[in-house]
Amino acid sequence: MMDTKKLKQLAKDSVYGLISVCVFLCIWAFGVRTSDIGIVMPGPGKVIYEFIQSFFVPIGKYTMPGHILWSLYRVLPAYIVGSVLGIVIGIAMGWFRYVNSFLRPLYEMIRPIPPIAWIPISIVWFGIGEGSKWFIIFLAAFVPVVLNSISGAKSVDPLLLKCGEMLGADKKYIFRTIVLPYSVPYIFSGLQVALSASWATVVAAEMIRSSEGVGWIIISSMDTNNVTQSLVGIVGIGIVGFILAVMMRELEGRLCRWTVREN
Amino acid sequence: MDKRKIISAGLAILSIVLFIFIWYLCTDVLELVPARTLPSPEKVLDSFIKKFHDKNPDGGTLIEHTLASLQVALTGYLWAIIIGVPLGIFMAWNRNVDKFVRPLFDLLKPIPGVAWIPLMIVIFGIGIKSKAAVVFCSAVVPCILNSYTGIKQSKEVHMWVARTFGATRLQMLWTVAIPTALPHIMTGIRVALSSAWVAIVAAELLGSTKGLGFMIQQSRGIYRTDIIIVGMLAIGICGIILSIILSFIEHLVVKGRK
Repeated sequence: MMDTKKLKQLAKDSVYGLISVCVFLCIWAFGVRTSDIGIVMPGPGKVIYEFIQSFFVPIGKYTMPGHILWSLYRVLPAYIVGSVLGIVIGIAMGWFRYVNSFLRPLYEMIRPIPPIAWIPISIVWFGIGEGSKWFIIFLAAFVPVVLNSISGAKSVDPLLLKCGEMLGADKKYIFRTIVLPYSVPYIFSGLQVALSASWATVVAAEMIRSSEGVGWIIISSMDTNNVTQSLVGIVGIGIVGFILAVMMRELEGRLCRWTVREN
Repeated sequence: MDKRKIISAGLAILSIVLFIFIWYLCTDVLELVPARTLPSPEKVLDSFIKKFHDKNPDGGTLIEHTLASLQVALTGYLWAIIIGVPLGIFMAWNRNVDKFVRPLFDLLKPIPGVAWIPLMIVIFGIGIKSKAAVVFCSAVVPCILNSYTGIKQSKEVHMWVARTFGATRLQMLWTVAIPTALPHIMTGIRVALSSAWVAIVAAELLGSTKGLGFMIQQSRGIYRTDIIIVGMLAIGICGIILSIILSFIEHLVVKGRK
């Protein structure tokens, strides 16, 4: 139920937001008109116009939705595999002491190396096709998910565990009914981080080697010195990144209602 | 208890030994994978040591490349802290500023720092400046975000106490809100450090003449896989060292942690 007060507040906030965006665009337009930066930078009007046009007129081989779909096709399979494996390994490492001591050193070896730094070697290993990109995205998703799953399984309230034990639950039952539900919020925040990391990484991977995708839009604009196209690419990447984050948050709200996120 | 610890330590050592042994077995002994694809651990170690004084094949020793990367990364990173942290605090503290800046920030936040590279090159040229600007773009977001949530989390009750004792608004910010937010701010600074480090590697992969990212990209072109792995190790080690330094600073600055 939304009362009128809340609605009013929402309307007020969106007006403020609109004003601030308009002011920003005006400053941009004004700056481009009057200063030297106008020689290299297009105004906001042109960028928005070109962005809308990119839905109908292809840039390179595809239109904007085509490029976005290509990038998503690279992100999603690897993201899903990386997340599932990350959750399984992370929970196991957080819950079983010996699994942790065996896998920890290996994980600590991978963790500090940013996924982007794997690009050259993954190209050597998997060629310049989709394989190398999937590998990188897999790493980008895997590392944060493992980290969060570990801390989820480790931070289970000991009181609850003792309660379960006292009431005669066996280890399996405790794991299924206490440890797993307790770690879900942590896992979700890992999934959230992993998704934005994967999106950023695919952009980087496409910038380094590809012939389609949103990262390609940006990098090909560099070759042709077309700044408008690069800004159009940035707008596209920002919008998709935003939508992905919002979708993830919605999913979390639906799937784990018991999470209390203080904000 | 003690026995468990010994088993744990044993397993940890075993995993590393096993890893290196399998790597060695696949490359040097059984030659399952060609050396071009994956050099043996021995070769990597050898290249690592050699790279400290050998300029071949990319025109710089490991130390020169590392320093070049560090210089750019830290420049952008420091700017991100200088601008990001006060901006986040200011946004959280002043509701009017929040209303105006927040939507803009939300709009720019989902754009990964790497995407700014071509634009920054157009604006700042191909030197240090453009790379530092890319680093800045990636590092400033966590700085702002964490300072913002940190300040927002200061307890109402503490504020009321301060007001009852006649503190001015500035005093309240300085003595109540910022100390409360400090652990959060430090977390932001720490996250920003790893973003900065990622951004500099990406920027160097795309276009530069020095730096660790440049080194691994260059080595890919000539199939020197050993040097790629050396570069990756160097990137990882630098990241670890930087974060150790940072947690040392955190220890000094943040008081009253749990």
